[in-house]
Amino acid sequence: MNAKERLEKVIDNIEKVIIGKRNIAELSIVAMLSHGHVLLEDVPGVGKTMLVRALAKSVGADFKRIQFTPDLLPSDVIGVSIYNPKDMEFHFRPGPIMGNIILADEINRTSPKTQSSLLEAMEEASVTIDGVTMQIPKPFFVMATQNPIEYEGTYPLPEAQLDRFLLKIKMGYPTPKEEMEVLNRAQSAAPIEELTSVISLNELLELQKQVKTIKVDETIRSYIVDLSRQTRQDAYVYLGVSPRGSIALMKASQAYALLKGRDYVTPDDVQYLAKFVFGHRIMLRSEARYDGITAEEITERILAKTRVPVQRLVGQ
Amino acid sequence: MTSIRKNKLFMAVLYVLVFFMLAEWLTPVIVLTETGHKALFLIFIAVGLWMAFLRVPWWFSGPIKILYILWFIIYVYTGNVFFTGEAISFLRTDFGMNFSALTSQNWAQTTDVFRTVLFFVLLWMAIYLIHYWVSFRLSIFLFYLLTVVFIAVLDTFSPYSGETAIVRIMVIGLLLAGLLHLARWMEGHRILERTDKMAMFAVPLVLLVALSTALALYLPKAGPIWPDPVPFITSFSGQGGVGSGGSVGRIGYGVDDSRLGGSFIGDDTAVFQVEVSEGQYWKVESKDVYTTKGWELTENIGESFIYGNSETVDTDFESGEEELESAFLSMEQGFPFVLYPYGTQSFSMEDSLDYQYSTADQRFETYQNGQEFEPEAYEISFTEPSYSLAALRETNPEELAELPAEFGRFLQLPEELPDRVRDLAAEVTESSDTVYDKTRAIERYFSIAGFEYSQSDIPVPEADQDYVDQFLFDTKRGYCDNFSTSMVVMLRSLDIPARWVKGFNEGELINSEGGTDVYQVTNNNAHSWVEAYMPGVGWMLFEPTIGFTGSSSIDFDLELDPTDPEQPDQQEQPIAEQPGSADDEEAAAASGSSFWNRSIDFISDNRWKLIWAFVGIALLGTILFKIRHKWMPKLLVSYYRMGRGRSVRFEKAYLRLLKQLELYGIHRRPGQTLKSYAAYIDSFFGTREMSELTEAYERTVYGGDAESVDWHELRESRENLINRTSG
Repeated sequence: MNAKERLEKVIDNIEKVIIGKRNIAELSIVAMLSHGHVLLEDVPGVGKTMLVRALAKSVGADFKRIQFTPDLLPSDVIGVSIYNPKDMEFHFRPGPIMGNIILADEINRTSPKTQSSLLEAMEEASVTIDGVTMQIPKPFFVMATQNPIEYEGTYPLPEAQLDRFLLKIKMGYPTPKEEMEVLNRAQSAAPIEELTSVISLNELLELQKQVKTIKVDETIRSYIVDLSRQTRQDAYVYLGVSPRGSIALMKASQAYALLKGRDYVTPDDVQYLAKFVFGHRIMLRSEARYDGITAEEITERILAKTRVPVQRLVGQ
Repeated sequence: MTSIRKNKLFMAVLYVLVFFMLAEWLTPVIVLTETGHKALFLIFIAVGLWMAFLRVPWWFSGPIKILYILWFIIYVYTGNVFFTGEAISFLRTDFGMNFSALTSQNWAQTTDVFRTVLFFVLLWMAIYLIHYWVSFRLSIFLFYLLTVVFIAVLDTFSPYSGETAIVRIMVIGLLLAGLLHLARWMEGHRILERTDKMAMFAVPLVLLVALSTALALYLPKAGPIWPDPVPFITSFSGQGGVGSGGSVGRIGYGVDDSRLGGSFIGDDTAVFQVEVSEGQYWKVESKDVYTTKGWELTENIGESFIYGNSETVDTDFESGEEELESAFLSMEQGFPFVLYPYGTQSFSMEDSLDYQYSTADQRFETYQNGQEFEPEAYEISFTEPSYSLAALRETNPEELAELPAEFGRFLQLPEELPDRVRDLAAEVTESSDTVYDKTRAIERYFSIAGFEYSQSDIPVPEADQDYVDQFLFDTKRGYCDNFSTSMVVMLRSLDIPARWVKGFNEGELINSEGGTDVYQVTNNNAHSWVEAYMPGVGWMLFEPTIGFTGSSSIDFDLELDPTDPEQPDQQEQPIAEQPGSADDEEAAAASGSSFWNRSIDFISDNRWKLIWAFVGIALLGTILFKIRHKWMPKLLVSYYRMGRGRSVRFEKAYLRLLKQLELYGIHRRPGQTLKSYAAYIDSFFGTREMSELTEAYERTVYGGDAESVDWHELRESRENLINRTSG
């Protein structure tokens, strides 16, 4: 069974629970395969938690959920050393971060201090407490959710932190037809309980390795760089996509190509993922907000005007 | 997706319309050739179309059609309704006759049955062709256009009246073209064939056709813009021949030369065959009055002499001194006169005959018992005249003034003759002293002054134009009439008597045995040349037309020239002087610069021609460039076909395809990926090929995996697409 079939099984499995969100499931897997993390931005109740749980169950991973509240402390996330009077030593009690798949719910409701503790763990895939560094088990995949910024009582994530998420996805409401199907399924027993894993964690790790072998032609690399550079030159953009963003786009494209059963990246992959990779990495000037221009629209515009490479580079 | 081609009702309607269209083709053919049994031919067409409509396999439909044709032959030619023994034996004997006639290339012996079969085969092909157009190409416009042209031409040039037929054809054709356009459109946009969709288009179509037809019938019609072309054309073609006027004439001997000019088309109808030792110019007559447009003959002038068989005749040309030769002419076209070579002594033929010679036009008319007679074969005794070079060298222009008054008519020139013609004649002959040299100078002038021989695109002079002037100064291209008339006129302007002669040139050598050549002379050999009078020598033949060698065959004879011992010195002097007049250095310098001079002369002489040629080439180039998406793919398809399995070639071919699609008008936006572009192309054409090709291309370019691309398999897809964009 090749990578594509395996991954499709996972997606099919998720689809049993989440109706009509195949692309979200795909993108989640893309992020997971390329060692990235996802920022889900949407209103509550559209199935964010269900998606993560279904994903965790499908790959047989350990699932943890952290509900971020304003009074949550870093130690509540990464764990704490507790003094044991019996042997007169500190013992580390791992926090919820020490799992495979973490749902960090409403991440923008907690203090920046706690936020950064999570984000550092995401970037390093390890936590350091009292001078002791501990690896987080692999695979490690965080799916953070946040309510849209305009909601009250939130701490917007700083730019540098946002950059650590590979993709930002908006879930969106289901269509009326899909919503009726949701109701239909909700009448019977919760389907999430019936899900079984379709691939093992080891297989997942194997696939993660495979992603790195996907060929990214020089033409594609130059295309990615072109796109990133364009974001930095746009008149509406205050801060464009960083080189880390370019890397993210390339990695995500590789994973997406694997998901589509190809061993090379095409411009279509890049175009498709650019919207999700760039969306949270472009900081707009205030003029853009006055003109009602969003980062997604900027990305669309750049995609439309940047020449797609259709020939081998000269000398190849 | 159900293609509209699958809709039986729709296709049935198309085939019925096609049947009526074909019937419109058949009707005039049947009417004009007076063939009967129109109904049986129509049944053949109907059966053929019906089987094509039902997609009957060829092994079934073919025999049925052949059986029908055989039955038709039996029924029509023997009256039998069934395949009786008698009928079959008729078929067998007829087949044998035709087969032997065909194998012996005796086309005239084939029977009507054979022609009937050929006609059926033609109908068969027509049915197949239209079936193909309608079912596969979904296009009928060309056939429709041809039908209209066909009926219009027949209506104009034949007794067939297409007045109602053209209305029927318009209605049928518009319906057919409209429905086929609908079919193409629905296919192109992948619209499912559904009755309501079709009705949405078909009902307005029918209404529009009906409305426009009704309106066209009701509205008053303008009269013809041009007069009926038929009398106009027949008035010229009836008198066709060298010397007839009109836009395009048919070459051949004609009587009326009053309006020269116009183009000619060749006509290789045989006129006569002649056995003779050497090819001759065959004279018919001459004309003396130049009218600025052509030639006429002075009326009521000259004398007539009547000769009998083998009697020595007296023409203006003395026979030469060599032995008499014989020429046997067998005519293939009837003329009431004889054709004769220069130096003719006598005529003879089996019938007793009078040869009436007229000094006015030097024509020998033939009479039998006082009636005009067209001889079929006759023998001529003749010797080519020879002229003394010494005598020719003595032809003093001053002697011209002393010629008797009867030469006046050979000096006639119209008053309107432009002065520049006279000036040119004087200029050309400036350095010549004798009459003979002057004549030769004019004869040579045409071949050295950039004149061109051509039978096509030769104008007829307008009312205020002079035929000679137009040729000498404006067009500088023409055929024998232009050259000979011009020479006569130029000679006359120098007071040298000259006349314009008509007849035939040598013809084509078709056989040569034992010193006798057989020449075939056709209408293409109709010719005109010049006779000029050399004082003290007599009339001589001159051939100014480029490419004709008439004068050489009747050349003067140097060896037999009886000359004084003193004279050779005098003769050679001018010849010797010429090379001596320039030293070597000067000659070298002259040849060096003469190349430039000649080039510059050529450019300035042909300035307009060159400009037009340049403009023409530029225009052609532009047009070819503009429509390159039409023809280039076809070249490229074969070009890329030659490459075998090379991925580089595939990439090039693919990029070429992209360009072709761009030219076709489907633009790829800069930010559009090949895949989405391919999807659009495929949805546009209703194909899958572009996506397949693109996937393979992406694998080569982005995946760097050239080996796995099966270029052979993809080639067909690519060619299919290319053809779609260039169709």
